Amino acid sequence: MSRLLTLAIAIIFVATACGAPTAAPSGAPSASAAASAQIQRGGTAIIAIWQEPSTLGAPYGNQTILGVVINGTVEGLVDTANDGTYVPTLVTKVPDVANGGVAVKGDKMDVTWTLQKGIKWSDGEPLTSADIKFTWELWLKDPKVNTRTGFDQIESIDLPDDLTAVVHYKSIYAPYPRNFSSILPKHLLEKEADVTKTDYVRRPLGTGPYKITDFKAGDSITLEKNPNYRGAPDKPYLDKIIFKSVPSSQVALAQLQAGEVQAMWNLTEAQTPDVEKTAGLALQVVPGPTVERIEMNTAQNKMYTDPNSVHPVLGDIAVRKALLYATPKQQLIDKLLFGKATPGTSPISQGWAAYREPQEGYDPAKASKTLDDAGWVKGSDGIRSKNGVRASITYTTTTGDQLRERVQQVLVDEWKAIGIEVKITNQPSATFLSGSCQSNDPRKLGTYDIDMFASTPAIDPHTTMLRYHSKRIPTQADCAGENYTRFKDPATDAALDAAGSTLDLEKRKAYYATAMKALNNAYVIIWLYNRATIDARVDALQGWQPNAWRSFTWQMQDWWLKK
Amino acid sequence: MGNYIARRLIQAVPLLFAISIVAFWIVKAQPGGPLAAYEGNPDFTEADRQRLEHAFGLDQPLPLQYLTWLGAFVRLDWGYSFSSQQPVLTLIGERLPNTLYLMGTVFVVVVLLTIPIGVLTALKQYSWFDHIVTGTVFTFLSTPTFWLGLLLIIVFGLELRWLPLGGLQTLGQPFDLGDRIRHLVLPVATIALVQMGGHVRYLRASMLETIGQDYMRTARAKGLAERVVVLRHALKNAAIPLVTIIALDMPELFVGAVVTEQIFGWPGMGRLFIDSALRSDYPVLQGILAISSALIVFSNLVADVLYGWLDPRIRFS
Repeated sequence: MSRLLTLAIAIIFVATACGAPTAAPSGAPSASAAASAQIQRGGTAIIAIWQEPSTLGAPYGNQTILGVVINGTVEGLVDTANDGTYVPTLVTKVPDVANGGVAVKGDKMDVTWTLQKGIKWSDGEPLTSADIKFTWELWLKDPKVNTRTGFDQIESIDLPDDLTAVVHYKSIYAPYPRNFSSILPKHLLEKEADVTKTDYVRRPLGTGPYKITDFKAGDSITLEKNPNYRGAPDKPYLDKIIFKSVPSSQVALAQLQAGEVQAMWNLTEAQTPDVEKTAGLALQVVPGPTVERIEMNTAQNKMYTDPNSVHPVLGDIAVRKALLYATPKQQLIDKLLFGKATPGTSPISQGWAAYREPQEGYDPAKASKTLDDAGWVKGSDGIRSKNGVRASITYTTTTGDQLRERVQQVLVDEWKAIGIEVKITNQPSATFLSGSCQSNDPRKLGTYDIDMFASTPAIDPHTTMLRYHSKRIPTQADCAGENYTRFKDPATDAALDAAGSTLDLEKRKAYYATAMKALNNAYVIIWLYNRATIDARVDALQGWQPNAWRSFTWQMQDWWLKK
Repeated sequence: MGNYIARRLIQAVPLLFAISIVAFWIVKAQPGGPLAAYEGNPDFTEADRQRLEHAFGLDQPLPLQYLTWLGAFVRLDWGYSFSSQQPVLTLIGERLPNTLYLMGTVFVVVVLLTIPIGVLTALKQYSWFDHIVTGTVFTFLSTPTFWLGLLLIIVFGLELRWLPLGGLQTLGQPFDLGDRIRHLVLPVATIALVQMGGHVRYLRASMLETIGQDYMRTARAKGLAERVVVLRHALKNAAIPLVTIIALDMPELFVGAVVTEQIFGWPGMGRLFIDSALRSDYPVLQGILAISSALIVFSNLVADVLYGWLDPRIRFS
């Protein structure tokens, strides 16, 4: 017995010694200052996030949650308003050709940025134009950055004075305002050989209303007021914001309902009724740029398909039209998305280049007639065929996505009713959405008939629109490019090329509209619905602003808690 | 015995080596890979992909990747996470105390409850107490932890509002022991209720076997008090198989309970493992797998050695 007891005591001792809890940071209670109007100051808001941000270093991350967490800390030269236009944040104006900030020199251009006077980093150091140059240099120098797109178009940067940076581009690069969306502190990082090995990736230093004071992996990230913020001492209103890491959106919702958190990031449409029926909670539904679409492969379904080959069924535009006519978009939205989405019209549904000309509506009779007229004859089993080719196709999306699986069930029935047989061949997102030939992405290889996925255009639509350029068809020789339908149209190519070589927004908008019209006239993509960004909060958390392009944390300096 | 331990430790080396090769290939065989997460970014180009593959060493042939990893690993350089860029040892170091805190509590609760319950059910075989315990034990034994955890959350967290829904502590508050304990109750209950079942049954069975032995009758005939008979003579012998089983629980103490940590948002090793698996964060996965396989091999050895220590009839040769 004594040996057993010794053993038990030893183990208990080890277990408790290792489990010694660490002290939580103590929050200083705030004296609420005399509030102007009805705004109340002070307090802490806890936001549940159900994705764990692995890094907070803007140059290195690729998660949506990264932006959500650092929005209140790391700022760019400009921000994006809800309508998709740029607004200055750290600079005095958004440079463009009209205000002299952008000078086009042949096939090159110069962009002049002027910083506002007196802006400081949260450690009190002044923000200077050298930080702009350093940001570009780091992105080009560090091998671990996420993407160099845009920065690789910059030839050099001149700094005439502490507030001015002249950026020399080696091409006409229209999305130039997006380049500097996260400015890095030169004074802190310039001597670091490898920024990823510094504390910056956990507690980035910024110019925003809040500074990150604590990062507990897998648990929480604490933001406190930045005393050097340019809006201080008036803003921010809240003393503290804590991002709480929870395992899933269901848990986040449960904690919001139980009052353990004041807000949560990213709900599914199916969760919205739960919020609506809980007293004291508010939903924030913002129409976003994400578009769920069904793409049809016009080339043969085979490995490294030849873009010039013709799909035996989907090669016929009549079949593609019929599939669109037999797609009840509004019904899907009402029944499966709880009315929280809008019917899709094009890849660009938001912003200055939005194209909102609707595709033809749901009309199964018209679908049947189209197929009849094209010579697709119904067989004894109700499935059509033409010249011995059976109208039977496969339908691929990600496995395990409940919403997509339900959409598939509805559409398979609808399409069967008009005589087209559809077999579901879903694949894990790690394959289907890998975007890589080595990982066997069927869209890249051309080994699919119809697919379904969502894509979100960037604020400048050019990279998204290039998806429909014939040069962007993935092949064995060049797997880059996302023209998965193998859509080829010289007029579209010309419009996209023209849009890429001018800075005139009106002209670009017209070129993109030409391309999107041609794309829709080819009936290669069914734009199912524009997905909304949905977040939730307690009623008492006020001051939220909707923004289609930014996560809901984009203006946290305006948030306040009603006591 | 020293010889025995030394021989077992030497035998463990090729075994761990083989495990590391298998683990490496399984981890790499996942579809997608660590760069799949970048694909959602419309600005991410083929050039970016090649640069990152090179930076992470993913452009090397697999055997070379393995040897590079192994070479660094034995020099205690476990590499850097692809997604967080932090040293793997730092990431594990952040999570390990939380897992030990949770699993250590579970361990203590399980041992403290198993011994009296196991002994009582054996002494009072076929009594109402035995029947109730046996029924309860089998119910929890056949309950998946993810279901039990959610059930406890719904009942005690959402409906009754007695206990918090998850996490280590209430955020934004100073340290408070009571608060810490309240956060422990549900995750500990979830694991302990399921884990205890097997242990109670083992102890009950081996107690019953021991009670029927001749020396028990002898002990009673000597006039020893019943308490002494049960605790010193019966329990000591009956506990030997239990010690083996408890020693085999050891890896869990360090590696954590993946499902429970996930449900309760516990920032421990289990969640680190899941998050890393979802991101194909190979260096972190490799590190955790190395720790867990080493612990399994080691705890088997510990169980064998303890067995001999507690039961002198067993000789190592």
